[in-house]
Amino acid sequence: MLTIKDLCVDFPVIAGVVHAVADVDISLKAGKRVGFVGESGSGKTTTALAVMRMIKKPGHVSKGEIRLGDTDILSLSPEEMRQTRLCWISYIPQGAMNSLNPVMRIEQQIWDGIVDHEGTFPIRELRRRSDDAIAGVGLPARVGRMFPHELSGGMKQRACIAIATALKPELIIADEPTSALDVITQRQVMETLEKAQEAIGSALILIGHDMGLMAQCVDKLMVMKDGRIVERGAIRDIFTKPEHPYTRQLISSVPSIGGESFLPKLSAEPVAGRRSGDAPLLEFDGVSKVYGGGFLSKKGNTALYPLSFALDGRKPKIISIVGQSGSGKSTLGGLMLGFSRPTTGEVMFEGRNIATLGRAATKSLRKDIQAVFQDPYGAFNPYYRVERALSLPLKRFGISSDAADVRTRCAEACRGVGLDPSKIFGRFPHELSGGQRQRLMVARALMLSPKLLIADEPVSMVDASLRASILKNLYDLKDKHGISIVYITHDLATAYHVSDYVIVLHEGHVAEAGPPKDVIGNPQHPYTRLLVNSIPWPDVDRQWGTSASAKEEIEALMKEAKGHPPVDRGSVPGFELAMAS
Amino acid sequence: MYLIYLTKRLIMLFLVVVTAATLNFFIPRLSDKNPVLEKITEMSESSAPGSVNMQELLVIFNERFGLDKPLMQQYFDYLGDMLTLDLNYSITSYPTRVADMILGALPWTLGLMVTATLIAFLLGSVLGALTVWRKDMRLLQFFVPVVMVFSAIPFYLIGLILIYFLAYKGGYFPIGGGYSLTAFPAWDWDFISDVLYHSILPGASIVVASIGIWALGMRGMMVTVQGEDYMNFAEAKGLKNRRMFLRYAVRNAILPQVTQLALFMGQLVTGAILVEIVFGYPGMGSLLLQAVDYLDYYTIYGIVFVLILAVALSMLILDLFYPLLDPRTRSHRA
Repeated sequence: MLTIKDLCVDFPVIAGVVHAVADVDISLKAGKRVGFVGESGSGKTTTALAVMRMIKKPGHVSKGEIRLGDTDILSLSPEEMRQTRLCWISYIPQGAMNSLNPVMRIEQQIWDGIVDHEGTFPIRELRRRSDDAIAGVGLPARVGRMFPHELSGGMKQRACIAIATALKPELIIADEPTSALDVITQRQVMETLEKAQEAIGSALILIGHDMGLMAQCVDKLMVMKDGRIVERGAIRDIFTKPEHPYTRQLISSVPSIGGESFLPKLSAEPVAGRRSGDAPLLEFDGVSKVYGGGFLSKKGNTALYPLSFALDGRKPKIISIVGQSGSGKSTLGGLMLGFSRPTTGEVMFEGRNIATLGRAATKSLRKDIQAVFQDPYGAFNPYYRVERALSLPLKRFGISSDAADVRTRCAEACRGVGLDPSKIFGRFPHELSGGQRQRLMVARALMLSPKLLIADEPVSMVDASLRASILKNLYDLKDKHGISIVYITHDLATAYHVSDYVIVLHEGHVAEAGPPKDVIGNPQHPYTRLLVNSIPWPDVDRQWGTSASAKEEIEALMKEAKGHPPVDRGSVPGFELAMAS
Repeated sequence: MYLIYLTKRLIMLFLVVVTAATLNFFIPRLSDKNPVLEKITEMSESSAPGSVNMQELLVIFNERFGLDKPLMQQYFDYLGDMLTLDLNYSITSYPTRVADMILGALPWTLGLMVTATLIAFLLGSVLGALTVWRKDMRLLQFFVPVVMVFSAIPFYLIGLILIYFLAYKGGYFPIGGGYSLTAFPAWDWDFISDVLYHSILPGASIVVASIGIWALGMRGMMVTVQGEDYMNFAEAKGLKNRRMFLRYAVRNAILPQVTQLALFMGQLVTGAILVEIVFGYPGMGSLLLQAVDYLDYYTIYGIVFVLILAVALSMLILDLFYPLLDPRTRSHRA
């Protein structure tokens, strides 16, 4: 149905021409699902945009042929191409968070697609069709009357699918449809997308970087690297006998639960923790957080129910906090950093309540507790060169003011996370890749030699291959520098490998806690089971979830999880959690 | 919930008005000029020497205007007057009431400034949006540097240039005034067309001078909006160009412009002063200048109070209507 022959897309740059896509051949049959996998910059999105004829200038298709059925896409007039979009091929762009017009209701955004392709209909007819499309993605009809900002991330993504499938296109292209979503929502969205695709019998191109997701969702896979397809084939063949080394690397970079860890074995005994004094490094005493609920308004929103634990810190530990978005894990991180004050209880760092510290003590606390955040793009001032961004904390905390010394320390920190200072100094953050920036954040945190590091989703926005190396950086911080780490994530597989202790949060409560081998390896609480089941396994034989329908299983387990008492799976030395019964 | 919000907002409005009115009361009092003395001096100059007993008149006038009372007493009287919209008598033009003077001047200013500003807003926004959307239109690309130059020139200067070439040299337009000296003010076509004819040059100078601000603001927002993911999705949806332009790009890019417009509307009257002086236009600007010249307390108070109300009300209107434009600001109702 879709045939691409010898497709080349060129981007002229000052130094010459970049071949973003080179000699790509694809043929896709109706009703089939094919995955394009590769790291960012591999040309997978550009290939999709070429099919949509939406490549931004000065990029252009320099060679090749794209046919949809008998239609030659590249020779269509702009008006014919416009009519082809949505009607025959629909494209769900990356970043569903911002893909909807914020000032229009969801149903209006479905209507304008219908009206611009099929002409005007009476409003009742339009509403019937938009209600059908919304029901088709498993959302209640009232969502149509809502504005995008009133929807959650998963709902927005499903609304995008409703828009894209409203005209029953022959081909659907979904570009990283779940990259910003947690595993449970990801599974729901993918099931929705597959159902919608099956219902209209169209072909699907799924673009992504997660081999696990591909194993669960597609029939055929194209592995792309530097604009070329380096390997292609049926999904089972690629997983059973990958031929290209890059494919093997992609498969092995997916952390799976159980089996060999991707982290190196320890050669020596880890160094002692950096705690000073006798009190535990970090202690929560009945800490809870309620948002809102002030004068004149109704009950507030409890993000975190009272939680007590003590992280000893004499031996460095990595504690993982896992859960879906909205489970309260980032609230917990904010409380540890002292960014927000607890509604009840006390957060103690080395025996002192951080809410009552004076100015000087707060400043030294900032040095002792460092953070690495999710978004490597937003964490650096875009107008500061790398070395300035790195040196600021050194100067700010009065660690060093000598220019040469500052430079040496910065260079050292960069080498510590595997960055070559001679290559990145003098550049601006936007000139670095996401992975480099994320490592720079780790380097910046490391330079202040903190005692505790809060890492809030540090790898959720980087490619699978980088994920492993950044986690290895974090792991090294613990073993070589004695820094205790709180690792906040929705990715259970990495939590399984890096952490010493795992706390599963569900709607502000602790659902299950204990050593990762028990909690994640053999979950007891229904919510943990749901999380583990929703991980897309990089294994074609392993069904995603335990029942055929994700919806049923999620609903059943969610129901069971509600009000289920927390499960204590034992403790590890150096970390004590007070379990509410 | 909405009623609570509205009540809070109205209390806020009241506090803003009272605070601003308080400043308005005290600031003119800092001057060592005495408006009554100015008035009497002027009277004595225009009458036979010795026929006016200055001392006696001073006492009578001070008593008449309440200027002999303690300052705080005067302040509370003033607040009471303002809040009941009783704007008192003008000192300089006694026995004319300030309210009547303002009512005579306000329509001129509002008619000219509001219309000119709306025209500039619409033209500027449309042009700014088109310069981004229609990269292929050469004429539009040329337009941007031109309006940048104009927006850097103060509008009274543009006004003077227009007067010199089109009125003085060319004779196409009247040199100044709100209407011809020979015209008789009435609601008939002759007088209205005469008024419109007189308003073309001052109106044009405002439009020319401020169109650039709107165009540049819109251009910047359009560039930002074009980089948004929803524009990408709109293109992928194969929407018609016109719909993408109006309902997706302009609809979102115009939001900050509307805020700007509301702020601008409140300050129109002050902005009008120079234009009105240059064109000899009988509006609020001319009135205010005259009042400040003689330190006519009550006229100043009256005019500035009307300005305060204008700013406060236009912000209130913006706050109440903005949620209709941008659903993301409706959260307080939920």
